[in-house]
Amino acid sequence: MEDTPRTQRARTAFRGRPGRLVWVWTLALLTFVSVVFIRPQKPLNAARPGAIRGRVELRRPAAPAERRPSVADLGTPVARDMPDLLRSVVYLESAPRGAFDTNESGHAVMDQRNETFVPHVLAITTGTTVDFPNSDKFYHNVFSLSKTRQFDLGRYAAGNSRPVRFDRAGIVRVFCDIHSHMNAYIIVFSHPFFAMTDAEGHYRIENVPPGTYGVIAWNEGTLSETRPITVPDGGIAEADFTVR
Amino acid sequence: MIFRVARLTSLLLACAAQLAQAQRLPSEPIALADGRVTVSGDVTAGYGREDPGFFNYTDYEHSALRMFRVDVAAAVKAGPHFTVLGEIRTENLGAVQPYALFLRIRPWTTRDFDIQVGRVPPTFGAFARRTYANDNPLIGYPLGYQYLTTLRPDALPASADELLAKRGGGWLVHYTLGNPSFDPGVPLVSAFRWDTGVQAHATVGMLSAAAAVTSGTVSNPLFTDDNHGRQIATRVELRPVVGLILGTSFARGPFVSQSAAEAAVGDANVPDFTQTAWGADTEYSRDHYLLRFEAIVSRWVLPNEPAPAPLVTLQMPLTAVSLSTEGRYKLRPDFYLAARYDRLGFSDETATVGTLPWDAVVNRVEVGGGYSIQRNLLLKASFQYDHREGGRLQSLAYLPAVQLVFWF
Repeated sequence: MEDTPRTQRARTAFRGRPGRLVWVWTLALLTFVSVVFIRPQKPLNAARPGAIRGRVELRRPAAPAERRPSVADLGTPVARDMPDLLRSVVYLESAPRGAFDTNESGHAVMDQRNETFVPHVLAITTGTTVDFPNSDKFYHNVFSLSKTRQFDLGRYAAGNSRPVRFDRAGIVRVFCDIHSHMNAYIIVFSHPFFAMTDAEGHYRIENVPPGTYGVIAWNEGTLSETRPITVPDGGIAEADFTVR
Repeated sequence: MIFRVARLTSLLLACAAQLAQAQRLPSEPIALADGRVTVSGDVTAGYGREDPGFFNYTDYEHSALRMFRVDVAAAVKAGPHFTVLGEIRTENLGAVQPYALFLRIRPWTTRDFDIQVGRVPPTFGAFARRTYANDNPLIGYPLGYQYLTTLRPDALPASADELLAKRGGGWLVHYTLGNPSFDPGVPLVSAFRWDTGVQAHATVGMLSAAAAVTSGTVSNPLFTDDNHGRQIATRVELRPVVGLILGTSFARGPFVSQSAAEAAVGDANVPDFTQTAWGADTEYSRDHYLLRFEAIVSRWVLPNEPAPAPLVTLQMPLTAVSLSTEGRYKLRPDFYLAARYDRLGFSDETATVGTLPWDAVVNRVEVGGGYSIQRNLLLKASFQYDHREGGRLQSLAYLPAVQLVFWF
């Protein structure tokens, strides 16, 4: 096979100057070693991350969606669980610099159990894949018409699960096409500075770089007022909210 | 006409989009008294081509393709054992009709067993319990539940000749015996009126069964009895695997009213003049598709006193068979396609004109789709082809229609 003009030029170049090849290989080796084995040292005076904690009080908790009156049914519908509507999400309105440097694609689960989505609210970062297992003995049909992420998983039986990846930040309302009272929220953030409240309304947002941020609490589609919070270097800022 | 429907579609779509954007329409039932009272609603606005062949007229004398319908349903829970359920309905802004009102009793809260008393949901068949527009993927209804045959419970043909002369005219028919006025005939099974009586329902594992004793029949449900007879209806449903439902139904009861029977045969034994119906249905769904099939066989026994010559005496029973199959496929989260094929056939009857089916055989194909503007706001469009084999009315129809459905 004949050499192309480009190959011939390269051969001529390396034949004529063998020292250049050695230099190229040495440079590549040094680059590899520096990238793989030498970790960057933190500067001694770097700011230490802090945290924001507090409590979200719900003045008037939202009521769960009721079943439509089963007038056409021959009997009483099966009993179902009630969704936990007391959980809120607290998050930074704008992310600190560098918040988007790492965008790990995580996994989360929203179960369908006793005609309820569990959890009722799921807060995730962009790039997360949410699995929707069906733990009931009958069909569900998970879907969303939200602009943030439209999807329809169709009907699948107990023990099966289908995934959905969320790549855009925003609020996604999730429903079941068969059971109209089933609904849930998936709140997709483009940064990791958010936290879900526990059963008593307490929350804690970790690893927040020092600085002043607007912080908001969300519950069932209702937002609190934005509160400016200053996170001290390595310290903890407190912020309580009242929603609804 | 197609352009008018297209214009109306775009107008409905624009209005709906405005509604959806301007405000958050309620999407959940209204709950009062800590959830003990729940109220839900369905609003349907449909517009389609005129139907001079009366293929789509229901027993409320409105075309299913041109209907503005408002349903309001409510449930009042009075403890763990008792619930009162009711529904009122108005069509084309007419009088408000009480569609359902019954007491549901659950004697044991741990067992799946209920007794319902009052104007109860239909026991027979599958479609009659999903007549809400958001449960129906198309705009029209299956023929067996909607198409008006030429039979009436309060008026009777005196001969086979008189019956065959009315073929295809069930939307408005009159006979010489009984009530002389013009009124619509009955469908095989009425999906739009509910019967009055007592119903029991139980589920054990994959099997559920229901039985009811009511005052009307499946084709002529009644609020007040007209013949001192009782209908017995049963339904057995099997769910062997998730997504598959196999159902069978049976109903039998006196059909002819006391006054009509007396007009025909004098001192009549009304319980002899019955409607007996058998039904079989199946539904299978998986992923994004849903398939349904339903067959109904209905057999009426009417008074058939010897007709004066040269007329021919009616031969009993009169049988009708309805076959319906439909499918729906979701192409996108907010868009689906659907199609249904229906056939309604009738047994032969011999008269002086010859031997013919006692009513004109009807075939229907309907195709369409639905677009969800928001979760509980659906725009449907369909195209229906109807063909009637006989009768004096128009035998062919091509009926485009659009429908906007809102529910909460």
